[in-house]
Amino acid sequence: MTAPTDQHIEGTKDVTFRIFRFNPQVDSKPYFDDYTIPVERGVTVLRSLNYIKEHIDASISFRAFCQAGICGSCGMRVNGLSQLACTTQVWDVLAKSRESGIIKVEPLRNLPLIKDLIVDMDPLVDKMKHYSNWIDSTMPESSMGKKEFLISEAEFLRYDKATDCILCASCVSECSILRANKEYVSPAVLLKSYRMNVDSRDAIHGKRLAELVKDHGVWDCTHCYRCQESCVKSIPIMDAIHGIREDAIELRGMKDTSGSKHAEAFMSDIEKKGKLVEATLPIRTNGIVWTLQNLLPMAVKMIMKRRTPPPPPLVKSAKGIKIFREMFREMTEHVRQDHKSQKK
Amino acid sequence: MKPYDIVIVGGGGAGLYAAMEAMKTNPSLNIAVLSKVYPNRSHTSAAQGGANAALGNKAKDDTVEMHIFDTIKGSDYLADQDAVDLLCSEAPKIIRELENMGTPWSRMEDNTIAQRPFGGAGRPRCCYCSDKTGHTILQTLYEQCLKKGVIFFNEYFALNLSVKGSRSRGLIAMNMKTGNVEAFSARTVILATGGYAKMYWNRSSNAAGNTGDGQAIAYRAGIPMKDMEFVQFHPTGLRKSGLLVTEGARGEGGYLINRNGERFMARYAKEKMELGPRDLVSRSLETEILEGRGFDSPAGKYLHLDLTHLGADLIKSRLPQIREMCMQFEGVDPIDEPIPVRPTAHYSMGGIDTDNFTRTIMEGVYAAGECACVSVHGANRLGGNSLLDILVFGRIAGHTAAEEAGKFEPGNISEAELKEHVEELRGGMHASGHHERYGELREELGQTLALNVGIFREASLLKRGIQDIAELKDRFKKVRVSDSSDVFNTNLMQVLELKNMLDLAETVAAGASAREESRGSHTRIDFPVRDDAKWHKHTLATQAKGKVVLGEKPVTMGRYELQERTY
Ligand SMILES: Cc1cc2nc3c(=O)[nH]c(=O)nc-3n(C[C@H](O)[C@H](O)[C@H](O)COP(=O)(O)OP(=O)(O)OC[C@H]3O[C@@H](n4cnc5c(N)ncnc54)[C@H](O)[C@@H]3O)c2cc1C
Ligand code: SF4
Ligand code: SF4
Ligand code: FES
Repeated sequence: MTAPTDQHIEGTKDVTFRIFRFNPQVDSKPYFDDYTIPVERGVTVLRSLNYIKEHIDASISFRAFCQAGICGSCGMRVNGLSQLACTTQVWDVLAKSRESGIIKVEPLRNLPLIKDLIVDMDPLVDKMKHYSNWIDSTMPESSMGKKEFLISEAEFLRYDKATDCILCASCVSECSILRANKEYVSPAVLLKSYRMNVDSRDAIHGKRLAELVKDHGVWDCTHCYRCQESCVKSIPIMDAIHGIREDAIELRGMKDTSGSKHAEAFMSDIEKKGKLVEATLPIRTNGIVWTLQNLLPMAVKMIMKRRTPPPPPLVKSAKGIKIFREMFREMTEHVRQDHKSQKK
Repeated sequence: MKPYDIVIVGGGGAGLYAAMEAMKTNPSLNIAVLSKVYPNRSHTSAAQGGANAALGNKAKDDTVEMHIFDTIKGSDYLADQDAVDLLCSEAPKIIRELENMGTPWSRMEDNTIAQRPFGGAGRPRCCYCSDKTGHTILQTLYEQCLKKGVIFFNEYFALNLSVKGSRSRGLIAMNMKTGNVEAFSARTVILATGGYAKMYWNRSSNAAGNTGDGQAIAYRAGIPMKDMEFVQFHPTGLRKSGLLVTEGARGEGGYLINRNGERFMARYAKEKMELGPRDLVSRSLETEILEGRGFDSPAGKYLHLDLTHLGADLIKSRLPQIREMCMQFEGVDPIDEPIPVRPTAHYSMGGIDTDNFTRTIMEGVYAAGECACVSVHGANRLGGNSLLDILVFGRIAGHTAAEEAGKFEPGNISEAELKEHVEELRGGMHASGHHERYGELREELGQTLALNVGIFREASLLKRGIQDIAELKDRFKKVRVSDSSDVFNTNLMQVLELKNMLDLAETVAAGASAREESRGSHTRIDFPVRDDAKWHKHTLATQAKGKVVLGEKPVTMGRYELQERTY
C-alpha cells in the first residue's frame, strides 16, 4: 500500500510556479499567481505550464507550438533568464533556484506586453523590415530557377550558424541597450543583417549597411555580451556585431556618425577586453583623429581575428589588466582633452 | 472593407510560396496571408532531412524519371501519376529558385547544392541545409514575402469559409490579439494549413497546432477529403512528447530493447535488425508493446532505444543533437541510460481533394501543402517529398488563384452572416452546464486513435474507434471554455482545434474501416495484403447532414503498371 507514496517521493518533486499575470482588459497592473504541482524528472517548464493550464487554471496564456525548440514561440523568463520553456528541464532550474522549490515565470522584456506571458513580436518584425533582413538577389527574378549560384563551403560556413536563429527574442529580452532605447536595432536583427551581408548572392549590402550605421544602429551596442550569453541556439552574435562594425569602417570609413561615437564604442570594446594595450598607445601619441583614421580598421580586424572571446565576467583578465585599466583611464582623459582642443 | 483577390490561410512553406507566386503573377492583386502563428513558427521549420530533386549534383546519373518511379513505388501505387510527374519535373527548378533567392543550402565540393541519400530513393537526391532544411526554407520564404510587402494577418485563427451555393465568399477568422471575429470577403481562398497528425496528440511528432484546421474548414463546407486513412508513423518518438529521435541513432548502431532485455528486432527483420524500413520497424515496436513486452510508465508504455554501448565519445561526436534533445525533452542522457521511445504519428498523406492545379470542387477555393491531397504521396510518403510537395503545389496554387481570381465575382460577407458565425462560435461554450474538460476529451481522442486507428487496424478495433469518436463528439457539445477573456484566449483556440480534430478523426476512422486491404501506411490485420482489384482507388469522405459519407475516385495511372512493392 505504501508503494505509490514511495514512488511519489522518489519520482517527483513539488514545485511552485510563480506565474506573471496580466490581462489588459481587467487588470490595472500585473501580479503573480502561485501554482504548486508535482513534477517528475524529465519534465520541461512548458509541459508544467500545459499541465497547470489544463488542470488548474485555463486562463493562463502563453505561446507554444512545436514543443521541440525549433519554432521560437515559447521564449519567456524562467527564474529571471530568458529562454525557451520547451527545452528547459524543471529539475535543472530547481537545482539553481534561489528560493527553494519555486520557479518564477515571466514574459520576455523589451517587447510590449499583451497578456500574461505573451509579448508583441511585431516591433521585431518591423525592424527586420527596416533593416532589409532578406536577400535581394543579384539575379533578376525572371532568370531564377535555371541555374545555381556556385557557393563555396567556406562561404556557407560564414552564415551557417547565423541561420540557426529561430527569432525567439530571448536575446532581445536580455539586451541592455534595448531596455533604455526600444528603437535600438536589436541583437537578432543585427545577426540577421550580418547573415545577409556576407552572402555573395545579395545585391543590397551597401544599402543595408548604410541603415545599420545610423542612430539606434550597430554603433549603439555596448558590447555587453548578454545577447550571446542568452542565445538559445548558442549563436556567436558578437561575431556578427564585430563583423558589421569592421565592414562599416572598411567600406564607409568615418563619414557616418560622429567620430566620438565610434571612439566610444571602440574604447569600451578595448577596455572590456583588456588585451589590446598596444593598440591604444598611438592615441596617446598621435591623438584621436589620427588613430581613428589610421588604426581603427586594423584594430577592429585584430579583434575579429581573435573571434569572440568569452564574455567579460568570465574572461580571464589579461596579465596586468589592472595596470592597463589605469592606463586606459588616464588615456581617456588625454583623449578627451585632445578632443576638446581639436574642437577649438 | 474592400474584398481581397486572394486570401491565403497558412504561413508555412505552402502558404508563403503561394503568396510570393501570386504577387509575381499579378502584382496589382490585393492579397492577404492569415496565420494562427507568426509564419516563421510554422511547422515547416521542423523538417530536418531535406527536399528531393533530381539535380544530379551528387549522383550524376540521377534523372527526373527515376524520382518519379521511386515516388510512385513508395506510394504503393496509390499516387496519381500525372501529379507525380509534375512534382518531380518541377523539383530541380524550384530548388534552384529557392537557392537563387538565398536559401543557405549545404554545398558539395564543386560548390553546387549538396545532396544526400534518403529512404526509398534510388539515388542520393535529397537537398539539405545541415539538419535545419525546413527551417531555412521557411526563413527564406518569409524574408522574401517581407521584401515583397505581403500583407500578413498574424495570429489570426481561421474559423470557417463563408459559402454561398457552390462557391465561397471568403473567410471568417478570429483575431487572437483582440478576440474579434472578422470577415475576409474574397474572390479566392487558398487553404494551406498543414497536416492533421496531431490528432494522435502525445503520440505525434507534430506541432501542437497541426490540428487539420483547413481540412476541417473545407470538410464542413462540403469539400471532400481524400485518402484520410493514410497516416505515416515514425518508429522512434520520445515517450513523453512524441518528438522524433531520427534514424541516425539506429544508423550509428543503437539497439531496440524490450523489458526482457531482448533485441526484439531479431524477430521481425533478422538481417537488417534495427535498420529495416520505417513502417516495418514501427509495426515491430507496436507489436512488442501490444504483446506486453514494453516498459510501463505514467506517460504510457514504451521501449528502449539503447545507445549506451556506443560510448560517450561516439555519441558526443556523431549524435550530439540527438543527445541534446533527449536531455532537454526527456531528461535522459543517452550516454548513461537508454532512451524511452515508441512509434509516433508523423505525417498525414490524406487531405483536401484537389486537382493538379490545386483546385477543389468549390469554385474559388484552392488547397496546397500537407493539408491537400493531390495525390502525390498515395499510401506512403517518401522522406524529402513533402517539402517538395508544399513548394511545388504552393507555387501552383498562388499562380492558379492569381490567374483565376478575375473570373470570380468578389465575395461579400454581410454583417448578419458575420454575426451568425460569432454566435455559433460563442455558442454557449462559456455557458453553465458545460462541464466537459477540453484536456480530457483531447487525451481520449489521442488514445482511441492510437489504439484503434493506429499502426495496426482491424474491423472490431475500428468499430470501437468510430464509436469512441462519436461519443467524444457528443460530449464535445458540452465542452467548457473556462477562460472568458477576449485577448489571446488560447483556451478557446485549443477547444476550436479540438473540434477540428474530432471532425477529421471521423473521416480517418471511416476510411480505415472501409479500406479492407493493407497498403502503404494502412495495415489491416484482418486484410493483410494489398487488394488492387477492389482497392486500387482513392477514398473520398464528404460531410452530409453532419455524417461522413464515403465515396471513391480512380487513381490516375501512366507509364507505370501496378507491381508488388518490395525493397
Ligand atoms: C518532425 C518532422 C520532420 C519532417 N521532416 C521532413 C523532411 O525532412 N523532409 C520533408 O520533405 N518533409 C518533412 N516533414 C514534413 C513537412 O515538414 C511538412 O509536411 C510540411 O512542412 C508542411 O508544410 P505546410 O506549408 O503544408 O504546412 P505548415 O508548415 O504546417 O504550415 C501551416 C500553416 O497554417 C497555419 N494555420 C493552421 N491552421 C490555421 C488556422 N486555423 N488559421 C490560420 N492559420 C492556420 C499555421 O499557422 C501555419 O502557418 C517533417 C515533418 C515533421 C513533423
Ligand atoms: S552586446 Fe550589444 S546587442 Fe548584445 S545585449 Fe549587449 S548591447 Fe545588446
Ligand atoms: S539570436 Fe538566439 S536568442 Fe536571439 S532570437 Fe535568435 S535564436 Fe533567439
Ligand atoms: S514551442 Fe517551439 S520553441 Fe518552444
